[in-house]
Amino acid sequence: MARPAVEMRSVSRRFGPIEALADASLSAYPGEVHALLGENGAGKTTLMRVLCGMLRPDGGEVLVEDRRLPPGGTRAAAAAGIGMVHQHFTLLPSLTVAENVALGTREGSGLRLALDRVHARLAELERVTGLPVDAGAPVAGLSVGAKQRVEILKALYRDPRVLVLDEPTTVLGPQEVDWLFGVLRSLVAGGRTVLLIGHKLDEILRVADRVTVLRRGRTVLEAARQAVDAPGLARAMIGRETTPAGRSAQAVGGAAGERVARLEVVGVRGEDGRMAVREVNLEVRRGEIVGIGGVEGNGQRELALVLSGRLRPSSGTADCPTTVSLIPQDRSAGGLVPGFDLAENTALAFHDDDAHRRGPLIDWAAMRRTAQEIVTGFDVRVPGWRATARSLSGGNRQKLLVGRELARAPDLLVAENPMRGLDIAAAAFLRDKLVELKRGNPSVAEVGGAGGRPAHAPPGIVLFSTDLDEVLDLADRVFVLVRGRLIPVPEEERNPAGMGRLMLGSAGA
Amino acid sequence: MDAAALQAFLEASVRLGAPLALAALGETISERAGVINIGLEGSIIGGALGGALGALLTGSPGAGVLAGAAAGTAIAGVFALFAIGLNADQIIVGTAATLGGLGITGVVYQSVFGATGTALTLPTLPALPLPGLSALPAVGPALFSQAWTTYLAYLLAPALWYYLFRTRWGLELRAVGEEPGAADAAGIRVRRTRVLAVLGAGFLAGIAGAHLALAHAGTFAEGMSAGRGFIAIAVVVLGRWNPLLVLLASLFFGAASALQFELQAVFANVPYQLLLAFPYLLTLAALAGWIGRSRAPAALARPWPPRSGE
Repeated sequence: MARPAVEMRSVSRRFGPIEALADASLSAYPGEVHALLGENGAGKTTLMRVLCGMLRPDGGEVLVEDRRLPPGGTRAAAAAGIGMVHQHFTLLPSLTVAENVALGTREGSGLRLALDRVHARLAELERVTGLPVDAGAPVAGLSVGAKQRVEILKALYRDPRVLVLDEPTTVLGPQEVDWLFGVLRSLVAGGRTVLLIGHKLDEILRVADRVTVLRRGRTVLEAARQAVDAPGLARAMIGRETTPAGRSAQAVGGAAGERVARLEVVGVRGEDGRMAVREVNLEVRRGEIVGIGGVEGNGQRELALVLSGRLRPSSGTADCPTTVSLIPQDRSAGGLVPGFDLAENTALAFHDDDAHRRGPLIDWAAMRRTAQEIVTGFDVRVPGWRATARSLSGGNRQKLLVGRELARAPDLLVAENPMRGLDIAAAAFLRDKLVELKRGNPSVAEVGGAGGRPAHAPPGIVLFSTDLDEVLDLADRVFVLVRGRLIPVPEEERNPAGMGRLMLGSAGA
Repeated sequence: MDAAALQAFLEASVRLGAPLALAALGETISERAGVINIGLEGSIIGGALGGALGALLTGSPGAGVLAGAAAGTAIAGVFALFAIGLNADQIIVGTAATLGGLGITGVVYQSVFGATGTALTLPTLPALPLPGLSALPAVGPALFSQAWTTYLAYLLAPALWYYLFRTRWGLELRAVGEEPGAADAAGIRVRRTRVLAVLGAGFLAGIAGAHLALAHAGTFAEGMSAGRGFIAIAVVVLGRWNPLLVLLASLFFGAASALQFELQAVFANVPYQLLLAFPYLLTLAALAGWIGRSRAPAALARPWPPRSGE
């Protein structure tokens, strides 16, 4: 085989007490799409940030085309031809698309901003890749999908030899994913290398030539596509047999009970002044899961806030119960306080609960017991008992939040992408919990009910997800949310392709 | 108000507004890069003393301005060392720079000149009437018969506007102030950009201080900066971080101050302390009424790299 375009040898890196990378190695060759797989917190993003010079490794070395890359410098990495499309957008909302693309390029002299040249080259890239983009538009007004396209164009603009993409498909619909994979294939056909971080195995296996699997900061598998299959990769990722997370337990079906929430012609004006939610009618009953699919940024946020009583609609009426649990999309901003420890974060949901107080005082012993039950029940890995939410990894933070919200025995549960960021085992576990909760299984409803809370009637559940498979797997009734409109998915369209068509087609309907 | 009084009022507005404009334009650049330097006051008083000493030693007020700029830059350099180099809290380091600047200038002044109580007389920057323009009725003498440092403020405003919004360097500076993580990912040297912006702001604040001593007062007095550094920071907000508007806002504040003197003459029986507060109240009103839609650079006062882990 030819010499590798990128070679990373025994890279290690710690963040305080957490060993993010222990012994991570990777070789990616010219002309291949190389997938980097691993559970949440396995170190995939950290390894790629080392490659791009954004993080200085504690040990190990990075070679690009046999030349050692000096550690911890983004300029050296960029000069060596490495470009990265980040998972979290690195665009400046106040600038236009062209200005964002020009940022950090050597285009023009320092005293002139050669935006005309940027526009010209963007038009050429648009032609080559088939990526439509409005170069003069401010980024703030773009949809999430359009921002993703700008990120990709920004990376391609520098003509990288090696392009790194961190979970690029999470904000794309099925058709857009196909298109993105087409672009990646044409890039490697020209001799470039693509490094693709992902977590959806079937998606990755469709496009990858070779795969590297990380587990707890170590490389545990490197193989050609032909040599691996999905179950084998899953085993490598979690280090043991998986309980088949498939559709074994019949999720769908069951008797729906009394109505817990009703929305009538609800409209919500978004922060930018445009209508984020339009004329939505929806009823939710106890014991059912309402699944709402769609690409991010189509009004999910606003609709979830209305359902959970945290936002008043601009028009129409919303009739929602008082006890609503919300698992918000942005888990760093909603739900947990980073500087609070486990018991304090638990107290945020239970401070009013009679079993958790003595008169006006919080009963911290009871609160710690409940926190302990959540930690054990949801397998939250914590470094110590006084650990703050900040010190937990993203996936564990999420398990803590989900565990707490399920423990409240709500009348209505609103969840935005609750599985995102969870590893395979935790996602399967959460999926089972949701189904149990819907069936009114007391083992879930009583987590945290330390004071002998009576078994509670099952809640209604509204599940927002960008993962259409997840919606189809779990939901009793399925909708797609497109530009603020809620469209019911008819029985014959209950498959990813059908939902994708609804998401693309009925924009103006 | 008759023509002579109007001209005097306008002249006073510009005289009071020019040093503010110099300091505020510098702070605009610093804040656009994400650094709030409330040590600006320290740079101004340092510039005033540096200007006084430089002018006395060389006999040239022009050399005094350069010495003032150097002193202002030096104090900003101390701020940059701690606030950017060592990632200390910008507000605390800025407070220290202000208090330290006021203290050190007092010590130096007393050790050089003694605590005599007689005012120092300095060679002053002469007014340079611009041919033609200064002959315009009313506004001519006010705007165009001033020391050259005032003209520097006029010229800097459009130059800095062009720099911020039309050059690649300006784009990079704004990126550093909005989203340092994104700027770093794009290969921009975040800390270096911030240090240069802070030094530039100190340089201009030093000139503002030298202007106070050499063009405005003709003397040096301890604490003569009189809170102008803080007012300049408010003026930056009033001018929405846009150099052209910042220049206008400085002149607006200068006019409010000048009006206050006029009001003292008119309302002789009103306690003058109340009238002294007038420009500040006007600024508060302007900030409250006008500023609603504007937005500070997103990463203002945020250290880079971020302090706690990831």
